[in-house]
Formats: sequence, C-alpha cells, structure tokens
Amino acid sequence: MVSLPGLHLTATALEPANPAETTQTRSQDLLPCSEYRFEVPFTRSLTIRLLSGTAEFFGTELAPSSTYAFTGTKGAVYTWRGCRLEIGGLAESEYTSEETQMSSYANAHFALEGLRDRSMQTGEPGPRVLVVGPENAGKTSVVRILTAYAVKSGRQPVVVNLDPRQGMLSVPGSFTAAAFSSIVDVEDGWGSSPISGPSPIPVKMPLVYHYGLASAEDGATFKPLVTRMALAVTSRLEEDVPSRQAGFIIDTPGSVSQGKGGDYDHIDHIISEFSVSVLFVLGSERLYSDLSRKYSSRSHDEAVAVIRLDKSGGCVDRDEAYMKQLRQAQIRAYFFGHGDHTLAPHSHMADYDELNIFRVFDPASDPNAAFRPGNDDDDIFGTSTTIYEKVKPSTMIQNSLLAITMASANEPQEVIRDTSIQGYIYVADVDDVKKKVRLLSPQPGQTPSNALILGSFPEDLPGLVS
Amino acid sequence: MSQSAEVAADFKDALQDLKQNSRPEISNLTLIAKENTEYAQAISRELENHIRTTRPEWKLPALYVLDSIVKNVGTPYTVYLGRDLYRTFMNAYTLMDPGTRKAMEGLLKTWKQPVPESMDTRPVFSPEVTQDIENALIKFRTIANQGMPQKPPMQHNIPGRPMPNVPWRSTPTPPQNAGRYAAANDPRIRQPVPQAAPYGQYPPSSTPPVQSQPHAPFYPPQPKPIDVEGLKTSLSAVITSTQKEWAHTPGDQALPNKLNALFGLQQILNTQTLPPDQLQQVAKQIQNMSPPAPPAPPAPPAPFPPSTTVLPVSAPFPPSSVPPPFPNSSTPVDLAQLFAHARPPVPPVPTPTPPSIPPSLAEMLQRFSSGASSSAPPVSVSPFYSPPFSAAPPPVSVPAPPTPVAAPPINPAADLARILGQFSKPAAAPPAMPPQPAPLVHLPFQGSSTPAPAIDTQWLSNLLKTVPSVATQPTPISSQPMSRQVSANANNPNYVELTTASIKQPRPHLISKLYDAYPNICATCGRRFESTQEGRERKARHMDWHFKVKDPDVAKRGIHRSWYISEKEWIEYREVDEASPEQVAKAASGIATAPKKVAKDKYIHVPTDTALVNAPCPICQEKFEPQWHVEANDFVWMDAVKINSKIYHATCWEEYSRGSSLAAPSTPDSVLGKRKAEDNPGSGKKVRAY
Repeated sequence: MVSLPGLHLTATALEPANPAETTQTRSQDLLPCSEYRFEVPFTRSLTIRLLSGTAEFFGTELAPSSTYAFTGTKGAVYTWRGCRLEIGGLAESEYTSEETQMSSYANAHFALEGLRDRSMQTGEPGPRVLVVGPENAGKTSVVRILTAYAVKSGRQPVVVNLDPRQGMLSVPGSFTAAAFSSIVDVEDGWGSSPISGPSPIPVKMPLVYHYGLASAEDGATFKPLVTRMALAVTSRLEEDVPSRQAGFIIDTPGSVSQGKGGDYDHIDHIISEFSVSVLFVLGSERLYSDLSRKYSSRSHDEAVAVIRLDKSGGCVDRDEAYMKQLRQAQIRAYFFGHGDHTLAPHSHMADYDELNIFRVFDPASDPNAAFRPGNDDDDIFGTSTTIYEKVKPSTMIQNSLLAITMASANEPQEVIRDTSIQGYIYVADVDDVKKKVRLLSPQPGQTPSNALILGSFPEDLPGLVS
Repeated sequence: MSQSAEVAADFKDALQDLKQNSRPEISNLTLIAKENTEYAQAISRELENHIRTTRPEWKLPALYVLDSIVKNVGTPYTVYLGRDLYRTFMNAYTLMDPGTRKAMEGLLKTWKQPVPESMDTRPVFSPEVTQDIENALIKFRTIANQGMPQKPPMQHNIPGRPMPNVPWRSTPTPPQNAGRYAAANDPRIRQPVPQAAPYGQYPPSSTPPVQSQPHAPFYPPQPKPIDVEGLKTSLSAVITSTQKEWAHTPGDQALPNKLNALFGLQQILNTQTLPPDQLQQVAKQIQNMSPPAPPAPPAPPAPFPPSTTVLPVSAPFPPSSVPPPFPNSSTPVDLAQLFAHARPPVPPVPTPTPPSIPPSLAEMLQRFSSGASSSAPPVSVSPFYSPPFSAAPPPVSVPAPPTPVAAPPINPAADLARILGQFSKPAAAPPAMPPQPAPLVHLPFQGSSTPAPAIDTQWLSNLLKTVPSVATQPTPISSQPMSRQVSANANNPNYVELTTASIKQPRPHLISKLYDAYPNICATCGRRFESTQEGRERKARHMDWHFKVKDPDVAKRGIHRSWYISEKEWIEYREVDEASPEQVAKAASGIATAPKKVAKDKYIHVPTDTALVNAPCPICQEKFEPQWHVEANDFVWMDAVKINSKIYHATCWEEYSRGSSLAAPSTPDSVLGKRKAEDNPGSGKKVRAY
C-alpha cells in the first residue's frame, strides 16, 4: 500500500492494531556509512520512511516515498551517504552503529561483478558462490545483500536456500532456488512466490523441494536433495544466459559448518555438486582456516576462492522462541499472504483414503533410524527404500503441514524424495470417526492424489485456521 | 454525489501541492484519477479549474498531470478533458513564457499521436480537438512573429538562464549554428538536465582536438578570454541558489554533494590559474547550473515518444570520419573528455551525410521494439543495445560526428511545433533551429528531478579530481571511453580482487556504481534506472507495471497462492523483467500477427468457485485442464471464456454462437483504461472496465 499524498491514506493510518504507537513518528539521522539497527517483535509494527538521502535494507534500496512496515524483524537500515529516516512505532531495541561490515560486503559484490563481467566476455559460467558460517553469523543477510546488489547492477542471480530453519519464498523446512531479476522485497523477507493476482513487488518463481527436518545433519535426504537441486540449477543455467552470467549464491544452515573434526561433509558435498567457485566464510576463524587449507590447494580447474568475511556487529542471536514465531509467520504468509496483501486459501474436506502421506524418518524422534546402515554413505542413499514411512491419516497429523509432491504415490521412494513440490496443505482438522480431514489449501480444487510428505519440521502449528 | 465531491476535493488538494515537476506526485495524481474513474467528471473539472486558476509557473506540471491521465487512464478522461481542452490549453498557453510554451507544444504534439506503445492506433485526443488548438497556435505564432525580429532573442526570455552578458556567451559561434548543433547532440542523450549547453556554444578551446574541426567550415571559433571574475561571481550565484534549493528541499540527497563540489570548484578558481579552455568548460557548466528554466516537468509515466530520442548519434559513423588531426595535447583533452562524460559525448562534427528525414515515430517505435537497428538511416540505435545493464555506465562513445545538418532553413517561428516534434523522435536528424531551443525542448522529457543534480555532482567531482593533475595526464582521446568499460584487469580501480585482504580494503568510490550509475530511481519501489535513453524507457515501462499491479479489484477477486512450478518448468522458465522491452516487442508482434484474439488463446484464471471448478464445458461436456500461464502468473484454463457465469470452451462457444447467429462474444479490446503495451492480446483478465 503506497501512501498517496493528498489522499491522506498513509500506511500508518491503516493499522488500527496499534494506533497509539504509530501515530507518533520521530526522525532519525544517520551519518554516512552507519546503520540503524532495530528489533521488532511479532506483536508490534515499526514503520520506516526515508525522508532524505539514500538508505538500504540489506542491500535493497528504500524508495523515497514509501513507508515500510516491519513486524517480527531484526534488521538494519544502512546508509552509504547519510540519510534521515522517519520512524514510527516502537522497536524492542534500536540503536545506530557506525561499525559495519558493509564495506567488505560491497567489495565482495564488486569482486563478483568482475567475475560476472568476465563471464559475459568469455561465456564461461559466472561466480558460483557459497556462504557458510555458524548460526546467527549473518549468512542470510550477506546473501540478501549480494543478491540485492547484483539485482541492482542489472544481474539475474539465482539464489539457493539450503537452510531449512527459515524458508526463502516458501515455508521453513523447504529448499528453494529462484532467479532474482527484480528487487528483493524489503518488508517480507525474500518476497513472495507467485500468487493469482498482481503483486506490488514482482513475485519470484521458486523451485521448491521439501526437506522436512530441522537440521542438515539429520536425515538421509539432505545430500540427495542437494544433488537434485544442483542438477536443476545447473540445467537452468545451461540455457538461461542472464542467470548463467550472474551465477548463483547458496545460503546454508549453520549446522553444516559445525563439522566433525575438521571434516565438513555437507560443505564438501555442496561444493562438488554445485561446482562452487567462491566460498565466503562468515565469522568463524577456524572454519575459514580449515576450509581454505582444504580448497586453496586444489588444482586450477576446480579452484575455490575462499574468502573470510567478518560477522557484522549487528548480528543478534535469534532464540528458539523467535525462530518459531518466524516459522509460523512464514507458514501463515504462505496461506494468508503478508501485510496488506491478503490471500484467500481454501478449506475443504478429504477422505482418509484420498491422502497418501509419507512421513520423513526423523532420527531425532526415531531412534531406530540412526542405526540404519549406510546412513552417511553417499552410495547408499540412492538405494535405500526406507526414506519414508507411509502413514495413515490420524489425529497425529492434525495441525501439520503436508508437502504436495509432483510425484504420484506409486512411485519409488527415491522418486518421491527427488521430486520438487507443488505446494503445501495444512491439516486443520482430523475427524477419526468419519475418517475425514479438513485441509487448508492455497488453491481451490481437489486434493491431489500425489504423494504428500509429512516432515517433523516445521513443527505443528495449532490454530492456523480458527 | 457527495462522495464524488469528496474525491474531487482530495484530488484538488493533491493538485495544490503540485508546484514542480515531480514525477512521483504526477504518478500519484494519475493513480488517483485511475482509481476513481467513476468520478472522472468531477476530477476532470477540478483539473481544468486548477490549470486555469493556478499560477502560470505551476500550470505546466498540472498540464502534465492531464497528459499523464489521458495517456495512462484514457477514457473517460479523454472525453471529459477533451471537451474543453481548447480553452484549457490556450488559456494556459497565452500566459506562459516561451520556454514553457515549447513544452506545451511538445505535449500537443504527442496528443496528436497514439499513446506510445499502445495497441490503440487512435490519437490521444481526437484530431478535431487538437486541430483547433493547432490552428490557434499557428495564428498566435504568426502574430507573435510579426512583432519580432527574425531571430527572437529567446534565450533572454528563458527564466532562470541569467547572465546573458557573461563573456563566454558571446562566443563568435552564431546562434543559428547553436541550435543546429544542439539538435544534433540532443542533450538528453546522457543528461536529463535542462542545463545542457547548446553545442554551438561548445567552448572553443585554443587547441581544439575535436570540436573546433567541425566548426571550421562554418564558423571558425575564436578563443575568447574568460572573465574569471565574472565566473566567480556567477559561481557564487549558483552556490547561493543551490543553497536555497537545499533549504527548501532538505530531502534531496544530491544537493549537499553538489554543494560540496561547487565549493571545491570555487576553491580551485580562487587558488589556481586555469588554462582558458578549462575555464570555458567550467564557465559553461556553471552557466548551465544556474537556476534552470521553469520547473522541469517530469516525464509522464506512460512511455512517451520523446524518451526515444536519446540515441547516441555517433555510433554508426565509421571511426574514420573522426578527424584526429591534432596531436593529443594534454590539457584540453582531459576536460573535453570529462565534459563528454557528463553530457552527450558527441561534439558537433558536420559530416557529408545527406540530410535525412526524421523517421516517423511509428517507424522508430517499431524499430525499437523489433530491436533491429541495422536498417536505420544514418543515426541508429546502437551502443545502448549492447549489455543493457553492464555495471559501468554505457560506454561513452568515441567522439564521432553527429548527424548531418544540411536541413533547409525553416521559418524559425512558424514551425516550432514541428521542430519540437522532431526532437521527440528518436534520432531525428537535426533540423535548422532557431536559437536556443535545445535547453527548452527537452524539458518535458526530463525524469524526476533528483537525477539531475546527481549528474552535476558527478561531473563536478570528476572535474575536481582531474583539474589539478590535468597537465600531467596526456590522455589520448580514445582511451577515455575505453577505460570506462569494465575490464577485469588489475589496473582498473573498479576491479576488486577476490581475496580476503582485498575485500577488506574500503573502496568508497565503487559505491557510486550502485547509486550514481543508476540515477533514476523509482519512487515507489526504489528500483534504479540509468539516466540513459534506454534507462528512461525501462523506467517508463516499470512505472506502467506499477500502475498495472495497482488493481483496485484485487480484494474482491480473492487471490490465492499459486502452486509452485515443476522442475522442468522451472528450468525452462525465464524471468520476466517488467521493465524489459521484450514485452513491448511481444505486444508489437502480437499486433502484427494477431490483431484479434484467437479463440483458443483465450483463457481465464482457474475459478475460485468450487462449483465452477468442477463443472465441465456445458457444450462439449469436457472438463477444463488447468495449466500454468507465465504471463498471467497463475494457473489458467486455456481456451475458456466465461459467459453469464458459465464457463465454456472458447472454441465451443464460438462455434455455438456462430451457429445461432449470435454475435461472437469477443472480449472488447481496451474499451477503457488499459491502453498499455503490456496489455497483450491473450490476457483476458486484464480487460476490465474501470
């Protein structure tokens, strides 16, 4: 909702939720190369408007005449050249800082730009970037900044999210890839996947796989899904010239960077599957030293440039309570839209036997699974037939999220695992007597007979429909 | 009715605030008009009243609102506003100063043509409406002309162009020539700022590497001593006015930079002695930065023909036609080069090319949309079409001769509108011009006001950087453009080595690549565009897109999340940039090949009503298959039409209705509103009466 001067329809006026807070605004001056950091809980809303100067939110420039509303966000508005902001509402915490890592992040962007230019000249693929680092080191922020700058420079990078803890253009627990040719949304994380109507920020078209577990270290499906994702992205880049030149940027969960005794199995896997050429290590000295020792000595063909980026001082630890709220907000946004742009999901009933639900083995909850032989072995995962367990609908699945795959229920489990998904449905209600479930679907129509994947992550979300 | 009055009052309020050409404001007003078409009459009346009653200097922005509304919204506004257009226009015209009149003539010109990039071939206003005005204008000009000398001293009438007596203005270059060259190097090429100097007054330097050569056959330039004191005086005048401007618009982030640069320049002037040719450059720039002409109107949000003007005229000419007769003497070259960055790169070099008739707008548009430039006459599309988004600004082309000039003499006063029109055509060959039209002519096509100072600043800071070292840098002419191209070599300051150490070095100068390289910002979403011709076109398309997605009916329609696409679809999917010209090309080709929708290409969005979702086509009893439609960004039923709340196969219905001699229910083509190019044939949902 853009405010229309003269019509007095400002965004703040449209938020009756906390009128007392939003009616008062204050202005905040930022010196050049400083940033305004804020944390807003999910219960409040903070509005920011750029009064003068230029400012950016994780690389995406704030428009001069728009008011941005943030809810449940820990973010920072950075300015290269100084600016004045008009801030409305109450933040949980807010301060300004002049010590940022933006200069090195921008340099990282310009270094990548050099590679992209070279790609345009030579036709070889553009930079293939992987960002790793511990939890809460600001990986996603760096990926967003690099993406936003690339888009601003007229590139069309593909962004791959392998972090199940927070979704990109989808719900948590999923892996997504999307080419960004239009600006990254400011208020709504990465923006929105396509909806049936117009969207004020161009939608992004994601490719989504369902992982369904909280951590990359769990479960046998992480690596195969990485392989599959790499295949899809590589194929796309074969033909899609703008994206090939811009390359891709991979965001990872912090868990892959923990490593066991200097062995970073998942990072290795990602690097080899995606032919990563640039590796940004955020924060951790040890990780950097381990990885640079490992990859810098590689032969010229598969050389990986390992670069250490400092963690921004603005990074805050996001506790589990916040993460859970974030996940719920993302799931809610999937069905109901974000902010003013509400979506209308559909609710309908389905018989028990219409649903083909496959539950992901979660070693955390299923102690037996941990003893399955060959769990960590690359060669075995392709032949294992116990990736999923077929479950009958029961009250167990109430309030859970089901991923609708593109595969039919009769396919082998590997096929179901490797297939991308079509969307999510939410089990609103289970009637064990009538053998019926009430489903919330983003779209009207029959429940597809496709295989549905039930993961243990994201966790159940009671009361999505109430 | 009360609501109508309310809307009208709101609109009026918003209009009152419109005191300069602010594109966002005009966009907003257009949006208001668009969302309130049911009150079009009241809004039109408000607009007319406002144009009639507001102060003369605010009339032009209001006229741009009118222009924007009729082009972006169309009917019913064209009807309401067309009724009294003659009075509205002529009232304003008679009160305007000559500069603004030019802009108004430019508007009138566009009204006689179809909406740019629209599928509708009808002119914006019907010919009867515009013809009356045209006739009146001719009469007006004839009368005005009789009382005036052959060459009306236009420049003196231009508000905000002070200091006509400053020495450098009195270069021997005759004004007649000035106009001509100004036309050849349409200043809009790289600079949307009104202050671009006419090229005829391109400073004649003592060792003119490029520009004096061209003059030679006509009017050999004579170096003139520069009055440094006068220069300083005018510089402080500029500074004062800039400060004032800043005080009024503290929000303009470019102004402080500009001020800094100006102070730096003042410092240099006070402390150093510059060679005359540099002084010339400085003088010219200062002169151009002096309080500009009437508030610069922003481009109407619709794609507008003038924006197509800005083609680098130079490229098609073989490099050989650049006479490099002078040794690359150090001093003048650098500044000239610098100068070239800030403004059209092309120094006026008349070449023996035969005079070319400016191609018609339609032709040019077509050429644009088809991307074919090869057949273009002397001037054609060129460097801009290489990597459209390369990080560096478009290559500043090698100084090459501009377009031919041997246009027949034209009665300067009588045919301004025509000349103006030629400006609004891409790559128009420059006709002979009355003195000084250039700075005026491009006024209406300027983008939002912010980019302008940004360029100034850039130019100035460039200048500042170079001035002290100028004598020690014998830069060959051609090297400058080269260095602006991105090359990944270590000497390039833009190159950042991919190592941890290198990444940690601050490189503040690179930040301008994220901001100043794309000075033209979209006020709605913050996306930036280059200040080039192409950038403006892209922005215009982008703004159209914003209008398009501001759909007042969204809430009613119950939108929902679409399914994700499959792997295969994703791999084959290509991102659609709302600002890319392909859409236009598609639309254009669509017009050519399929003026009417083919029945089987019709589609509707998969209905949300469950009863409808499962209902088969009543005629053939077959079910509809949902499929992904990229353009609509949704699952749709192809070959489907909705008639009286039932959904039929479009082909079935066509057969059926033909059989029963009913009129085929062809969806009306852009009855109202939507007159934009993106409104492709084949997108049923977009046909909607506002």
